[in-house]
Amino acid sequence: MALQYLASLSHYVPEAIMCLTMVFLIMVESSYDNNLKGSAKGMLYSTAYLGLLSVFVLLVAKIGNEPVTIFTGSLVIDPFSNIAKIVMVIGTAAAIYLSRVSKDIYEEVKAEYVILAVGILIGGLLLSSANNMLILYIGVETLSILSYVMASLKKNDERSSEAGLKYALYGGVTSGIMLFGMSHIFGVLGTIQFSEIYTGMSAITSSDALILMPAFLMFFAGIGYKIACVPFHMWSPDVYEGAPLPVTNFFSIVPKVAGIIVIVRVTNVFFAGSENILKESWIVLLMIISALTMTVGNVAAIGQRSVKRMLAYSSISHAGVMLLGVVVIGEIGNRAILFYAITYLFMTTVAFYVTSFVQDHYGNDHFERFNGLLKNHPLMAILMSIVMFSLAGLPPLSGFVAKFNILSAVISEKYYVLAAIAGFNSVISLYYYLKIVKNMIFRDSESEESVSLFDFKSQAIIAAFSIPVVVLGIFWEQVLVIANGAKLFIQ
Amino acid sequence: MSGSSSLLSWILWMPMIGVLGVLLIPKAKENAIRFWALINTAMTMILSAVLYMKFDNTIPGMQSALEIKKSWISQFNIHYHLAVDGISLPMILLTSLLLFICILASWTVKKQIKGYFALLLFLQSTVYGVFMAMDFFLFYVYWEVMLIPMFFLIGIWGGENREYAAVKFFLYTFFGSILMLVGMVALYFVTGQGEDSFNILAMSGGKFKDLTVDLFGYALPFAKVFFIALFIGFAIKVPVFPFHTWLPHAHVQAPTAISVILAGVLLKMGTYGFLRIAYPIFPSASVYFSDAIAWLGLINVIYGAFCAMAQTDVKKLVAYSSVSHMGFVMLGLAAMTVQGMNGAVLQMFNHGTSTAMMFLLIGILYERSHHRWIVRPDGTKGFGGLYTQLPVFSIVFIIAMFASMGLPGLSGFISEALIFLGIYERFTTITVIAVLGLLLGAAYLLWMFKRMFFGEVIEENKSYTDMNAREVFYMVPLCVAVILFGIWPSPLLDMMKASVGKLVSLLAMY
Repeated sequence: MALQYLASLSHYVPEAIMCLTMVFLIMVESSYDNNLKGSAKGMLYSTAYLGLLSVFVLLVAKIGNEPVTIFTGSLVIDPFSNIAKIVMVIGTAAAIYLSRVSKDIYEEVKAEYVILAVGILIGGLLLSSANNMLILYIGVETLSILSYVMASLKKNDERSSEAGLKYALYGGVTSGIMLFGMSHIFGVLGTIQFSEIYTGMSAITSSDALILMPAFLMFFAGIGYKIACVPFHMWSPDVYEGAPLPVTNFFSIVPKVAGIIVIVRVTNVFFAGSENILKESWIVLLMIISALTMTVGNVAAIGQRSVKRMLAYSSISHAGVMLLGVVVIGEIGNRAILFYAITYLFMTTVAFYVTSFVQDHYGNDHFERFNGLLKNHPLMAILMSIVMFSLAGLPPLSGFVAKFNILSAVISEKYYVLAAIAGFNSVISLYYYLKIVKNMIFRDSESEESVSLFDFKSQAIIAAFSIPVVVLGIFWEQVLVIANGAKLFIQ
Repeated sequence: MSGSSSLLSWILWMPMIGVLGVLLIPKAKENAIRFWALINTAMTMILSAVLYMKFDNTIPGMQSALEIKKSWISQFNIHYHLAVDGISLPMILLTSLLLFICILASWTVKKQIKGYFALLLFLQSTVYGVFMAMDFFLFYVYWEVMLIPMFFLIGIWGGENREYAAVKFFLYTFFGSILMLVGMVALYFVTGQGEDSFNILAMSGGKFKDLTVDLFGYALPFAKVFFIALFIGFAIKVPVFPFHTWLPHAHVQAPTAISVILAGVLLKMGTYGFLRIAYPIFPSASVYFSDAIAWLGLINVIYGAFCAMAQTDVKKLVAYSSVSHMGFVMLGLAAMTVQGMNGAVLQMFNHGTSTAMMFLLIGILYERSHHRWIVRPDGTKGFGGLYTQLPVFSIVFIIAMFASMGLPGLSGFISEALIFLGIYERFTTITVIAVLGLLLGAAYLLWMFKRMFFGEVIEENKSYTDMNAREVFYMVPLCVAVILFGIWPSPLLDMMKASVGKLVSLLAMY
């Protein structure tokens, strides 16, 4: 038994390192003088980066490994979750850097941001590997509880506290509902292990299905809430608005990717192994949810004045697009989702970075603040334009390839109307992405004097994050091979 | 599988070399940038001439000696697949010629020269991509990428209302291409995701005639549904009524050279899409919908002409005349006969040269007058008696105008006559009404000419200078083309005959 646990631990080194990093971070933070500015705590950031880097290296080294289940089957380490974890680790590192340079996070809470981000990442890692209901629930809660704190990071800002409170209330209710749903699933199938559910699902009777459907719906509410899909998206406007920009950036990547990954896993566990009435109704439901999520996110994004809010809403619609891949239960859909998550990470990070620096300089991030960026920072304006085009899904950029993959997954199942809806949503999204581009490039800035918004280091990071946006649009074969190899492991 | 010659790749990538060069030249050296761009387009033109020499008129369909095919994304069987046939070659030659002229016409651009020429050359490359790509995915990529340089060229260097025009153009075309994307991916899965699932050539021949597609619980014929999807995508580009509303804005706001490319080349991409993709892949549906296409073409002809007649802005007038003339191309396409199709392809080329002339001339005039009003909003005349003031300009203008009117002896006549010959038997009523459209065309052009060039010389027109040597130099090749192909169209017709014949015989089977 002890040996088995040790063997399990050897597969669980990345998560363990992340936990240790969090502990170290708390220790390092407490060793600093109270009056020291948050961004000056070099050791703290170094510790975080070191931890993230070592996890990243470990995960990359494991990319091709065979899937294993550990801790008596409660966790699964498969290539699919590995890629998702890599995406989350990069996203966290980028968000931590942004939080250090951003003025939107108060100096006295910068250290807290780092610690919380690492904590949420741990929740995300746990979630993407969850192989039974209990671990899944723990993962969701780890992710959520820390998120509530993070959302209200601007302590003396009313809206930020309100955001945190709303987030907590909604979150509490939905996780309660989720737990309720889980208990029903346990009641019907008699197990919380995913592998047993997978086999159990093929033998259910119609009366079982009658209970399972609402139970599964309730279960879905908990995760759907994390990725803010319609109709569980009500909390997101306030949270995205109220939370500081680096927090919004973080929220639109890590919890979202984790949520999507869990939905993929859960859907595959429940429905990949069997054909029944439950599966059909589930697919129809997911179709409606994804179509609504895309559309609502996009339509809400049109009217925004603040770029941060626009990006936040558009991230809802991107989650909707990723959900489309879930509709296609199977490898082609999973592959498309992974590819989408990878490209989405880079695009969103660049977009939030640029917005953050503009906001720090002008005090707000309204569209007009981007006017004339081409004159002051030609490179940044061009990169931001590229990212905007990519987010809208224009070739030859990676955003297009990601959308193409999702669309081909959807069309492979002959859901033409759904594909067309996704396409029209791209057109809608192009409208508001173009708004930034035209402000940056066609218009002159409000003042004549040239302003410097970006320091050299940040420009270099933005440029580095932009490279994959372009390169993955043309040479995507290798990444597709990797995503294709990243199979979900269930039994 | 790749052919022996990489000529097509050279033509495709030569403008990109030009872009790199422009980016490397320092911003301050404006003349160096201009000359580099000019040399670059001249080289592309020479390469296109070589392509014309190597082209074998007798081969129907693709010239295998020039074909290039390499794997790009092997999981999806996407290839870097270029080829040329008698339908695309005239378009490639037209692009090479017009771009060279556009660089010369852009000599007077003052704002951000580096960006302007880089984007112009980038646009050229993407246009070649559309006309050469034989892989649907590659075609789609070029079709879309082209929007990005166009968006910036209209948006940065355009007229007063440029932002609106650029965004409208972008959104409209993007909307159309989304449907095309869905159709493309659907075709990919229907053909079994095999080696040729994105191959436009391999998919042609009516293989999807008996398939059905399930939409909202109805089993609809696959070919018809996706023909409509492709149709909307291409029709927006042409533009076919009622998808034409982006065009007047984009044309009027775009700088001269961009209007020339837009009217001369980009509109042709729409009709080229029909000839290359929609018709060969869905021949049965094309025949089925040919009545509708003919009627839409007719609406284009008449509606465009009436709109043109109502304009007081001369550039807008020419923009609407493009709508009208592209209607003739649609009529030729609907005919599905040898004459009609040949006429359509010929009209694509001839409209490219004559409209380019019109837009260039308006650009030349605008540089002197800084307005384009035939009649100003307050009712006074914008121009008058230009004929006595600008004799050379007027002569070139007359040639351009008569060519676009379709006067016998000039290029427009041949193609329009062929189109009418081609459709007369199938659509007699439409032919009769469409001929009326020709009359309207003559009316609005001559009326415009009368108001601008005859009558009293108005005061401010007296200071205008006639065309300078550079302007004459770039108008000459177009004048020659317009007159030459009006008298002796056979070089062009020989080029396209075999390929068009192949397409017509395919359509004739349905």
